[in-house]
Formats: sequence, C-alpha cells, structure tokens
Amino acid sequence: MKSIFGSQTIEINTSVDDYFAILDGKTVVVKILRAENGRMDLLIDGERITAYVSSDGAKRWVTINGRTVMLTKTSGAKQGVRHEHAGGLIAPMPGQVRSVSVGVGDVVKKGQTLAVIEAMKMEIRIQALKDGVVAALLVQVGQTVEREQILIELVDKLESENV
Amino acid sequence: MFNKILVANRGEIAIRIMRACRELGVRTVAVYSEADRDSLHVQFADEAIFLGEAAPKESYLNADKLIDAAIQTHADAIHPGYGFLSENASFAAAVDSAKLTFIGPSADSIHAMGDKAQSKIKMKQAGVPTVPGFEGLETEVDFKQAAKKIGYPVLIKASAGGGGKGMRVVNAENELSEAIESARREALNSFGDERLLIEKYLADAHHIEFQVFGDQHGNLLHLFERECSVQRRHQKIIEETPSPLLSPKIREKMGQAAVVAAKAVNYHNAGTIEFIFDPKTSQYYFLEMNTRLQVEHPITELVTGIDLVQWQIKIATGEKFPFAQDDFHQHGHAIECRVYAEDPMNNFLPSTGRLLQFIEPRGPGIRVDSGFAIGNEVAHFYDPLLAKLIVHAENRETAIQKMQTALCDFVVHGVATNIDFMQAVLKHDDFANGRVSTKWVEQTLESGSLLPAVLQPAAELQNLIAAALSDILFAGSKPQPAVSNETDPFSPWKSSIGYRIGENSK
Repeated sequence: MKSIFGSQTIEINTSVDDYFAILDGKTVVVKILRAENGRMDLLIDGERITAYVSSDGAKRWVTINGRTVMLTKTSGAKQGVRHEHAGGLIAPMPGQVRSVSVGVGDVVKKGQTLAVIEAMKMEIRIQALKDGVVAALLVQVGQTVEREQILIELVDKLESENV
Repeated sequence: MFNKILVANRGEIAIRIMRACRELGVRTVAVYSEADRDSLHVQFADEAIFLGEAAPKESYLNADKLIDAAIQTHADAIHPGYGFLSENASFAAAVDSAKLTFIGPSADSIHAMGDKAQSKIKMKQAGVPTVPGFEGLETEVDFKQAAKKIGYPVLIKASAGGGGKGMRVVNAENELSEAIESARREALNSFGDERLLIEKYLADAHHIEFQVFGDQHGNLLHLFERECSVQRRHQKIIEETPSPLLSPKIREKMGQAAVVAAKAVNYHNAGTIEFIFDPKTSQYYFLEMNTRLQVEHPITELVTGIDLVQWQIKIATGEKFPFAQDDFHQHGHAIECRVYAEDPMNNFLPSTGRLLQFIEPRGPGIRVDSGFAIGNEVAHFYDPLLAKLIVHAENRETAIQKMQTALCDFVVHGVATNIDFMQAVLKHDDFANGRVSTKWVEQTLESGSLLPAVLQPAAELQNLIAAALSDILFAGSKPQPAVSNETDPFSPWKSSIGYRIGENSK
C-alpha cells in the first residue's frame, strides 16, 4: 500500500509476521510490538521506538521521542487546495476579525492596515503587501476565520480600471 | 471556613483553585462561557453557572454576571484566579458590597499598586529601590531634561500600563519626541490614560520576582524569588526558583525590600513584587506589584512546601498565617514550563483546534496543572496556555534534566505547541549558565541559535513509517456496528448484567 506525505512516497507491504517499508528504493523491516489507541511500539530496522499518531482528515500528527511533526497526506490523484492567490490577503492565524478599515473600491497603500484579527489576546494587523485597490472583502467584523483563509482581495490599480 | 466558593476563572487555574477548595471541604461553583460548555473546569466543580457569549466582556470579565452567579448559588466568596478581573479594584469592591468575600487583597491595595507612577512614588517613600527616573512630567522639555539627567538609553512607559503596551526604548534625544507621542497614543487607546513616566533603560536585566504572603493581622512574609527572565514579548515562558543569580545575601535584602513594599500598601493575601535585576552590578529595582496569585506560583509551592491557594482561602476567612520568616527555606530546585498552543514555526502565532491526543507526563517530582483533555477544543477567545509542567528536584542540574525528560513525554496533537522550542531553550548554554535576560529569547531567535534541532533522516523515516502504518492499523479500528454473528441467544457474552467467569451468582 502506497501513501504520499508531502513530497515523499512510502510503501508498506506485509509478509507473515513483518511489515516492510519502502522509501526511495530502500527497504526497512518493521515489526509491530504493540498497537492501540493511537500508540504503536515498533521495531524499525532493529531500533525500538514508541510512536503516537493521530489523524484528522489528511493531517497526521506523529510524535516520536518527544518530537511532534504534522504530515499532510496527499492522494496521488487530487492535489490539496492551494491558498495562493495573487492579491489575496490571508489570515496568518485562526481568530476573529476585530475590524475592517477598508471598503470595496478603496485605493490602498503598501503597508496600510486593512483589517485586524484577534486571537488569544493577540492582535495581528493585516497589511497591504503592495499598493492597490480592494477588489473584494470576504469577511465581516466579528466573523471567525481559519488560518490561511482569504480575507481581502487586492488588485493593481490598472487592473481595477480595466474592469 | 467558607461553605462555597465561586471561581471566577477558567482553564487550569480554575481547576487548581477548585482542587484546594475540595481539600478544604469547601463546595465549588464554576462559571463558563459559550465556548467552555465542555471544558474540564466545568466538570470539575460541584455546580456550574453559564455566563454568556464566549467574548470575555460577556462572560469572564462581566462583574455583574459573576456576582449574580455567586448570589444565586449562595456562595460566600469569589476567587478571581489570575488575569480577567483579578486585579480590578472596582470588582473587589463590588464583591465586598455584595456581602461576599473577595479572596485576595483589599480593593485599596489593588488600587494603590495598579498605577505604575503612583506605586513607584509610594515605593520611593517607603525606601524600596526603584529604577532612576521621573513621574508626573508633561511637556517635551521636561522629558528632555529628565532623559539628560538619567542618561540614555531611557524607557518611556504608560503610568496605567502593563504587558508592554505604551512602552518605548529611546536611545538618543532625536528619537524622544516621536517616542513620547506614540507611547501616549498607545497608552490612551489601551488604558484611556495618556500619562507617561520616564526611567533608565536597563538592557541586560533579569526579571526576578518575590512571592509575598500576609494575613489580615499584620503578619507578612516573603517566600523567596522566582526567576522569570525566559520571556518573549513580555510573555513568560519558563520560570525557576531559586534564581541562579542571587547570593544568599542579596536574596535576603531583596526579600526584605519585597516585604517593605507590600507592607507600604497594607497588603494581605498572596502577592508578587517584581524586580528588575542588573547582573553586572547586582542592583535590584522595584518594577511593579502583581496583586494576585501568579501563574507561576507552583514553583514556590514546591520549594517552600506550602499550598498557596489553600492559604489564600484560609487568610480570606480571617485566619492567621502562623509562620515566621525563619520557618521558610528553599528546598531543592523547581522549574515551570508553560505549554502554549502557539506555533514557533509560524512566528509564535496562536494555534487552535481540537485536541486529538493529550498525554501528560508523570513521575516523581513532576506536576502538571492543566485545563485540557483529549477531545477538548482550544478556542481563540482566551489565552493560549494549555498546561503548566512543573518539576522539582534536588538541584538546578537535575531539575533541568527532569524537565527535559518530562517535556519529551508530553504528547499534544491537534494544535501546534511550543514544546520543541522550550526543549531548545533548556538545552542552550546560556540557559545552563543562567545568562538569560528578558531580551534573550528575541535576540537569540534572531541569531538563529534557538531553532529546534533539525530532524535527522532516520527520524524522518520513522515518522513516515508511523504515519503510514497507523492508517493501516487504526483506520479500521473504529467501533463496528453492533451486529451480532452469534447464534446462541443465551450467550453470556451478550448479557448486560455484571457477570464474572468462575464466580457463582449469589
């Protein structure tokens, strides 16, 4: 069975007692000593490790030896949703929109604060990365936003005149 | 003793206080907001009162609702915890007016220490060392003259301030007028008060605070120091006691100064005198007083052996604090690490979500004060503290080792945490040598030497294998629908009545 995490493809095959993991053409033997409730005691290439794994959609949280990493599983066919928008300003953290200081059609300067997001007593100013015109406001004051959600669309001044 | 106490807080501190109440045989009332319906502190209490919307103004900061809840449940006292309304003099006064007991100092003491300029003037009068500087200045000319007298760099800060707001470091005279203007604006916005004070800026200073504790009969003592210099943007991350910097002689002098400072405002209950400490000269200066229980109180409890929260409650009933200064000694070394739901890889911004895994470390000398469990939602409305991991060991070196091991056993999935970051701090030579000033985290982050160790390829492979294997092993492990394949309708395995093999029914 093949799984893709980020840019890496790992294949797990089983035999009678053991599992084999294949990565970059190299095969390692994996023995499962115990597995329950998101905890696995494994022998990987002879080294005994305890791994904690939780899954949430495509996310896999893995802790081994006190180090936690978050891997994202991608299916070969479908790519994950991309948040890269030419002029879209995204939320750098989850939180609540505290204020929006511009309207659609407003001309803004690079560095100007367009909105403020608040989370856990911390305020983050969403500033224009370049001069431009507000093409769309995608959130309202008081709204809860996720990390990387697009808040405001900005276009270049010329572009807006063409529309 | 009180019959029932309402805990006007949430998270780990609410649970910490309720634990002390239980031990004293006092019933507890929790309060909660919309976001905290399923929170642990609500389950921990004997009864719980819903306050309102998640926004603090509608819930934990709403004095009227809190007092109403206490009256409605026939509680006789309110413990404010830390944060929220804990240092709000009018709340303390309102609790008194409602014929309830505020578990903390008097409203007058809170008020006297609430203003930075006023409290500094009071401390000077009491003979407590303060940072050289001036209060009550108005014109720019006044500030210019003052700065010249003090010598640059100077610090401008809001009289009503806190948390670094309305605070500016000024390195030279040509930066002064802009700094005054922007600090004034920020102070007015944040505190509705534009008064500023000016003082000498101490660059490599440490933050060392002293716990004080007093009863309502005039007995007030100190319970030694806490070194809290590992902080980022005025947010403390790691605290320890004893401080690796203090000699017994300086410790005694600072402790006495802390007692004088607290007595100057007729203080009773638990409080903390914060000092700035200059490691080059061993000079210390009064910074401010926190008129409440501190987040980091557990390390003091571990080295002194007393339960501060239980004593807060007893003192509030009018009981005497039956100790003398000589009764207290520091035993061993204690460290606290604050596990925050924030992402060091995303500029330490808050991280929210549902906790998919939450395993707290255990073992001798390990204490975890936490307010979360697996399945809980970490919401964006409140501060990002998930848990406090506290260790106690024979000396500093063994305490650091114990903390490193305990952090290694702390597993949190579902939100990003600062656990790796704290490991990097504990491992750093500067921390080992006690050379961490309050600016150290920011400076060291900038230099890049505080990044968590890069994952070795072998570790990366292990992570991938674990993730892929868990999909195979656990994906099908969800409970199967309860369809029985059994043909025997009288099978004992189906019976819902308690049944033990090899035991005759009686």
